[in-house]
Amino acid sequence: MKRRTTLAGIALGALMAVAPLGTAWAADPIRIGYAIARTGIFAAAAPSQENPYALWQEQVNAAGGMELPGGERRPVEFVSYDDQSNPANTVRIYERLITQDKVDLLAAPWGTPMHLALAPVLQRYKFPMVGNTAASVQLRKVAPGYIWFVTSAIPDSMGAEMAAMLKANGMKSVAVLANELPYAQEFRSFLLPALKEQGIEVLVDQSYPPDAKDMTSLLVEVKGKSPDAVLALTYPADAFLFTGQARELGLASPFVLSLIGPTIDAYRKAFGGAADGIVSSAHWSGQSDMWPRGKAFFDAYVAKFGEEPDALDSAVTWMSMEILQQAVAKAGLDHEKLREAIATGTFDTINGPVKFDGVQNAMTPTGFVQIQNGKIELVWPPAIKTADFKPKQGW
Amino acid sequence: MVDTLLSGQLLFAALVSGSLYALVALGLNLVYGTLRLLNIAHGDLVMIGAYVAFWLFTLLAVPPVVALVVAAVLCAVLGWAVYAGLFRRMLAKPALARRVEANSLILFYGISVILQNSAALAFTASPRAYRWLDTVITWGGVSMTLNRLLTLGVAAGLCLGVLAFLRFHLFGWGLRAVIQRREAAQVVGVNIERVQLATICAGFAVAGMAGVLVSMTEQITPFMGFPFTIVAFVVIIVGGLGNIGAGVLAGFALGLVETYGIALTSAGYRSILIYGIFVAVLMVRPEGLFTRAVRT
Amino acid sequence: MKGIWPTAGVVLAGLALAAPLSGNAYLTGVAFQIAMWIALAQSWSMLSATTGYVSLGHAVFYGIGGYVAVLLVDAAPFPLVLLVAALAPAVFAAVIGLPVLRVRGPYFVILTYGLSELVRHGVMRIESALGSFGRMIFSAPSPEALLWWMVALAVAATLGAWAVRHSRFGAGLAAIREDEVAAETLGVPTARLKLLALIASAIIPGAVGGLAMMRTGYFEPGQAFDPVVSFTIVTMALVGGTDSVRGPVMGAIGFALLSELLWSSFPQLYMIVLGAALIGFVLFVPQGLSGLVDRIAGRRA
Repeated sequence: MKRRTTLAGIALGALMAVAPLGTAWAADPIRIGYAIARTGIFAAAAPSQENPYALWQEQVNAAGGMELPGGERRPVEFVSYDDQSNPANTVRIYERLITQDKVDLLAAPWGTPMHLALAPVLQRYKFPMVGNTAASVQLRKVAPGYIWFVTSAIPDSMGAEMAAMLKANGMKSVAVLANELPYAQEFRSFLLPALKEQGIEVLVDQSYPPDAKDMTSLLVEVKGKSPDAVLALTYPADAFLFTGQARELGLASPFVLSLIGPTIDAYRKAFGGAADGIVSSAHWSGQSDMWPRGKAFFDAYVAKFGEEPDALDSAVTWMSMEILQQAVAKAGLDHEKLREAIATGTFDTINGPVKFDGVQNAMTPTGFVQIQNGKIELVWPPAIKTADFKPKQGW
Repeated sequence: MVDTLLSGQLLFAALVSGSLYALVALGLNLVYGTLRLLNIAHGDLVMIGAYVAFWLFTLLAVPPVVALVVAAVLCAVLGWAVYAGLFRRMLAKPALARRVEANSLILFYGISVILQNSAALAFTASPRAYRWLDTVITWGGVSMTLNRLLTLGVAAGLCLGVLAFLRFHLFGWGLRAVIQRREAAQVVGVNIERVQLATICAGFAVAGMAGVLVSMTEQITPFMGFPFTIVAFVVIIVGGLGNIGAGVLAGFALGLVETYGIALTSAGYRSILIYGIFVAVLMVRPEGLFTRAVRT
Repeated sequence: MKGIWPTAGVVLAGLALAAPLSGNAYLTGVAFQIAMWIALAQSWSMLSATTGYVSLGHAVFYGIGGYVAVLLVDAAPFPLVLLVAALAPAVFAAVIGLPVLRVRGPYFVILTYGLSELVRHGVMRIESALGSFGRMIFSAPSPEALLWWMVALAVAATLGAWAVRHSRFGAGLAAIREDEVAAETLGVPTARLKLLALIASAIIPGAVGGLAMMRTGYFEPGQAFDPVVSFTIVTMALVGGTDSVRGPVMGAIGFALLSELLWSSFPQLYMIVLGAALIGFVLFVPQGLSGLVDRIAGRRA
């Protein structure tokens, strides 16, 4: 009995011993905490977010640090943990970052489930955080307060915009193939009524599980119906599967959407010219002249990592850090002042000005991009487009 | 509908995925059959093979056909290291060998975690891909990407080669003897340890080669392996644990079921269909559908 | 009686510990985690350590409980929600038990895994047919309340595991582990005993799953039925040692503390070190932490 309690005591002691490590740090740098999926099912997506964090830190420190009210600058330092692609860990890590590591600021984790799980934690500790890689109409159920979502790729507005874009380009019939994971299904649920409203006929409507290994049967069916547009609501892994097999079958539809995946650098490396003409989800492009900060970010990213930033995830990540940086420069590190500054301010980002209405970005329009000559061009909506939509010319 | 089912396009797709399933499962089956080890790190060897092909192609412009050899050698060496370093020790201790399923499961879980995370650390988790031999040819109304055709050829060829070796080569006889009647094999003078070592190397090598084939058409990430482990388990259960020939057959059968099952029902039922078959076979006929052997 | 007091002591120490912690969110989180894994590993041991039928599918009970709890949480008082979350997987176990438990050895291991995946994909299909894209939970109890519930489950699971081992029921299960055919010949009702053990080991994981979903505040079938849960349960139980009731307790505590330590010291290498630790344990400490403690104690005495 005695020995057991001793053992428990030792274990607890060991735990306590690591605890003060965080607080013993010098007060000089501004410490920013985040969790990200370095392992597990989301791990492959996370570098598109962690790379911008690293680049941002490098640039801020090279400029002498992060600016505080009054012009003082302090270097920034990240404290990060692996959430193993599990939102339960995300919750625990942010509690740890806030109460144990006592970080000055928080940056966002990767993924919608993580953001949604995190909202109540931020509320409880009254700690503001600018979210980035999350998109779901459920975000609106989150009480406005300490979390904001930068992206405008929210499924309801995307459904309407997609239908409008199809109509504008004269597409009269579509085939919808949707991954069973939440984001794709949510988009599908808003897309179908929007298509109906625009009078576009749905010839095929099928869902497939995320671990599908072959799509030939589906695509043969689609090809047989010859729709004007094929809308594949993919995640990155099945974007490769879909594109490879659609190419093999020589799908002849002039409009081909692959929802998530084509903006990743590896996708264009895998398919080269065959990827030309593929439409995908994003509201930013490094090619745009509208937003001077965008080109600078694009070039710095390519120089540092040897590949292009993901037009979706890397862009919204960068935007979230721009917003945080500008809000801190105005309000400092006090949580309440910072919350006020983020909630009411207008920010200059690589995607143009951003202002929040409740939890949501009220300024950036929902858009779609198309791969043209290996480059990501914004083709929708017309107000921010960098190129016109071009019908897909073979594979 | 009937046209779709009779089209060569579906058959080609089914054969490509079937041959890959058969090849991935073959390696797992060899290791299970001779060593009774539940290798849940099997898919991670596929991942290693895929990275070998990617880096050789991207850095040195070495075509994947050559990478097949490199990946096979590398994974075989890994198999040797794992056997000599871990499993010889484990199998030698009666206390550990008594619960070989549970213990090998945990050991391989540890190995899997190490392989995945070492790859993530070394290469980052960013998805990778490259283009090679992706011309589409049409033959008899069936469109085929050349690298998929090559996958079919190499995978089927390797499966047949291994089967022929087991049937006609003396060492293959010894191996089959160890799978079927372990004690008897020892009595008649089969060097069990040598057979085990050779098998684990061969099993790992085959998985690595499968990885090279996969890398030509899928995105490569450190965590891509686990689904292959699962597919391999489904295949060798349906075929019968340790029954090499039936496993190959079951691999092709699974490819056909997947492709035609989706065509006949709906793509949404794909995974339910596959796991349903898996569970049903285990409950009703755990020795496998294609095995006549008596239950031991 | 020898085994119960130290084990209960450890759990009670945990309880006593939990009290002052409830102010510190980080330690509340760690304590919740430890209690959760104790409850799961103990429940698992009721079936797998006693009979030798190694389940690699306990995530299915955890997931079903979590799903049921998420569906009910806004509609019923919380204790009732947990009760239903615990009963649902028990009913599931009762339905599938007989055919599943006819399967032995490695086949059983793989079958339990396959079943868990089958249910996971089934629930995904149901959720997408319902037009649900992940569910947010707004009415979850506070983290402190959840911790208390979880500690209660850990204690209940530990007492339950002890009761099973020290009863005629447990003796029957041990007979099955040693030689099932012989036990059956001697008149042990093996099929019934195994089924009861499976049901017993399914109840608490259901409630644990419910609490875990409340803690996370978000439900998605892909994560609720995460196979990693099944793997972690088996790992913890084996690392702790399956020969006694305190094994899973020690495994869960040791493992959770190790994770916390590595997490902060080697954020990049954490998983690699964890994998190496696992391998080391199987090879060098085959009787688990609990066996190691016995050995050291024996040497000293």
